[in-house]
Amino acid sequence: MPLSDVAVTLREVSRRYGHRPVLQDVSLDIGFGEVVLLMGKNGAGKTTLLRLIAGLARPNSGSIERFGSVGMVAHHSMLYDALTASQNLAFFARLHGLPSGRVVHAALERVGLAAVHDQAIATFSRGMLQRLAIARALLPEPEILLLDEPLSGLDDTGTTLVTDMLKALRDRGCAVVIASHQITELLPLGTRVGYLVRGRLETPEVLTNKTPAEVLDRYRAAVARER
Amino acid sequence: MSASTFVRASLAVAAKDLAIEWKTKTAFVSSMVFAVLVLAVLYFARDPTSVATIDVAPGALWVTFTFAAMVGLNRAFLLERENRAMDGLLLTPAPPTAIFVGKVLGNLVFVGVVELASVPLFILFYDLPIGAQLPELLLVMVMATVAFVAVGTLLSAMVVRTRFSEMMLPVLLLPFLVPPVVGAVQLTARILLDRPLSELAGWLKLLAAFDLVFLTLSILLFEATLEE
Amino acid sequence: MIGRDAALRTARRGGVVTVLALLGLAAIYVRALVFTPVERFQGPAQKIFYIHAPAAWAALVAFAITGILSLLYLFLKDRKLDLVAASSAEVGVAFGMVMLTTGPIWGKPIWGTWWTWDARLTSTLFIFLLFVGYLALRNAVTDPGTRAAYSAVIGIMALVLVPFIHVTVYWFRTLHPQPVLVKPSSPSLPGVMLVTLLLSIVVFTVLYVGFTMQRYALAVLRELKAEEVARAVS
Repeated sequence: MPLSDVAVTLREVSRRYGHRPVLQDVSLDIGFGEVVLLMGKNGAGKTTLLRLIAGLARPNSGSIERFGSVGMVAHHSMLYDALTASQNLAFFARLHGLPSGRVVHAALERVGLAAVHDQAIATFSRGMLQRLAIARALLPEPEILLLDEPLSGLDDTGTTLVTDMLKALRDRGCAVVIASHQITELLPLGTRVGYLVRGRLETPEVLTNKTPAEVLDRYRAAVARER
Repeated sequence: MSASTFVRASLAVAAKDLAIEWKTKTAFVSSMVFAVLVLAVLYFARDPTSVATIDVAPGALWVTFTFAAMVGLNRAFLLERENRAMDGLLLTPAPPTAIFVGKVLGNLVFVGVVELASVPLFILFYDLPIGAQLPELLLVMVMATVAFVAVGTLLSAMVVRTRFSEMMLPVLLLPFLVPPVVGAVQLTARILLDRPLSELAGWLKLLAAFDLVFLTLSILLFEATLEE
Repeated sequence: MIGRDAALRTARRGGVVTVLALLGLAAIYVRALVFTPVERFQGPAQKIFYIHAPAAWAALVAFAITGILSLLYLFLKDRKLDLVAASSAEVGVAFGMVMLTTGPIWGKPIWGTWWTWDARLTSTLFIFLLFVGYLALRNAVTDPGTRAAYSAVIGIMALVLVPFIHVTVYWFRTLHPQPVLVKPSSPSLPGVMLVTLLLSIVVFTVLYVGFTMQRYALAVLRELKAEEVARAVS
C-alpha cells in the first residue's frame, strides 16, 4: 500500500483506564477506501480504540497519526435531547462552518428523517437516534469514519439504509472502521477484519470470500490464543 | 483558524445553550423560585426592631444571586455530558477554547437574566428607593457576575465528570466567590447609601482585576480539564 | 512513576526526618516552657503561640508548594508531581487543623473570644477550606490522569486566588467604617521569644518535609497496589 493511501496509523498504542490496562501495544494501518471491521466482546477495548483514533482520548504510550478529518458514531448519540432533529444538525453544521439550511435538509433526507425534522429528539426511538447520529457524523463529509455498533437499534430498513451508505462511502475512498459484533450484516462491506481480544489486536486479515462462520471460527481461535 | 470562526463557534455554542434553556425553562424557573425564596427568607431572618432593611439588603441580594447562579452553572456542562455531546463538539474543528467561551457567554446571559428579573423583587421586598443608583448597581452586577460565571463555568466542566457532582460545585466554587461577592456587597452597600464614587474605586478595581485574571486563567486552563 | 523499593526508601527517609523533627519539637517545648520568659501581658497562655504560628506557617508553605507543583504538572505531566502536590495538600490541611484549634485556645484568654473575624484569621480559614475542597475533588475522581489534571487546575486557581482573598478580607476590615483595627502584624518580640519562634518554625518546616515524604511514599505504594490489583483482575 503506498504511503499516501494511509488514513490512520497506530504504533504500539497502549491505554489504561484507572489502573486497568484497556489496550496493549496495538499497531494498525488503515487505508483510504478500506472498511476495517473490529470484532471483540464488550470490554475488549473496541470503544477505547475508536476514541483514541478519533483523538478524543490520548494513549498512555505509542503514537497515533491521522491523515484526514474524522467523523464518529458512538454508543451515545452526542446530540441534545431538548432540540429538534434539524436544530441539532444545524448546530453541528455551524461548528463545522457549513451553511446550515440546505446541508441539514439534505442530511435528514439521506437518513429518512425529513418528515420528523421539527420534533424534539427526546421523542425519538433508538433507531431514529442512531440514524440522526449517523447524519451528524456525515455532515462534514469526513475522510475517516469511525462507527461503534452502527446497526444497534436499527430495523431491517435502517440496516439496509446504513449499509448502503457505508458502501457508497467506501467506494468514494473514505476510510471506515466499524466495531461491532453484528458481523453477518457488515461482512459484505468489509475489506479486512481484526480480532480485539483483551486489549490486544492481531493484524487484521483480508476478507475475501470468507463466510460469517469462518470469521467467527477465526475469532474464537484468536480468543483461545490470548488465554 | 481565524478570529471570525472562533467567534462564530462561541456564539453557536452560546445560542444553542440558550435555545435549550428557552425550550425547557427548567433552570430558569428553579433559579427564579430559588431567588424569591432566598430574598424572602433573608428578609425574615433578621430582627426588624433592631436591624434596618438597608443593612441586610446588600448581603441578601448577593447571597441570592450567588445561589441562584449556582443552580444554572451546575446545569451548564450537564447538557454536554448527557449523550456525551461534548465528544461531538470536540470532533468539530471548533477550538476547545471557543467552546468554553461559548459556554461562558451562555451562562452570562442566563445568570444575567435571572439577576435582572430578581432586582425588581429585591427593590419591592426591601422597599428601596434606588432609581437613581440603578446604573451603578448594574455595573457592579455585571462585574461580579463575570467573575463568578468565569470560575463557575470552568469548575462545572470538571465537576460534572466527578462523583457527587451536585455537591462538589458549591464546595469548590464558594471560596472563589469570596473576593467578588464581598466586593459586590461592599459596593452595593455604598451605592444604596448613595456614597460618593471615590469610595467605590478601590473595590471596583479589585473586581476588575479579579475579572481579568480569572477570565484569562479559566480560558487558559479549560483545555486541561478535557484531559482523557 | 517510581518503583516499590524507591517508595519504601522515601518512606524510611521521611520517617527519619520526622523523628528528628519530633525530637526538635520536644526541645522546642522545653525551651518555650522553661527557658523562654513568660509574656508580661498574656501570661502562660502565650506559650501556645510557639505551636500556633509555626503550624500556620507550615500549612501555608504546604499549600504554596501544592500550587506550584500543580503548575509544573500541567507542563511536565509527571505523575510524581501530582502525588507530591496531593501529599503536600493533605499535610497542609493537617497543619491547618492544628492552626485552627490552637488559635481559638489562645484567643479565648487573650482576646476574650474564641473567634474573631480578623483579616489574617479569616483569610487562612478560606485558604484552608479551599484545600479541603481540593482534597474532596481528588476523592471524587477515579481515573488517575483525570484526577491529576483536575487537581492541577484547582491548585493553580487556588494559588492565584490567595492574594485576592487576602486583599479582600484585609480591606473588609480596614476600610470598614468602624475604627480601624490594627493590622495584626507580627508582634515585635523580645530576642529570646523571637529565637524560640524561629527555631519552632524551622522544626515545623522539617516536620512538614518528613510528613510529606511519608505521605508521598504511601501514595505511590497505593497506586502500585491498585495497578497490581487491576492487572490481576483483567
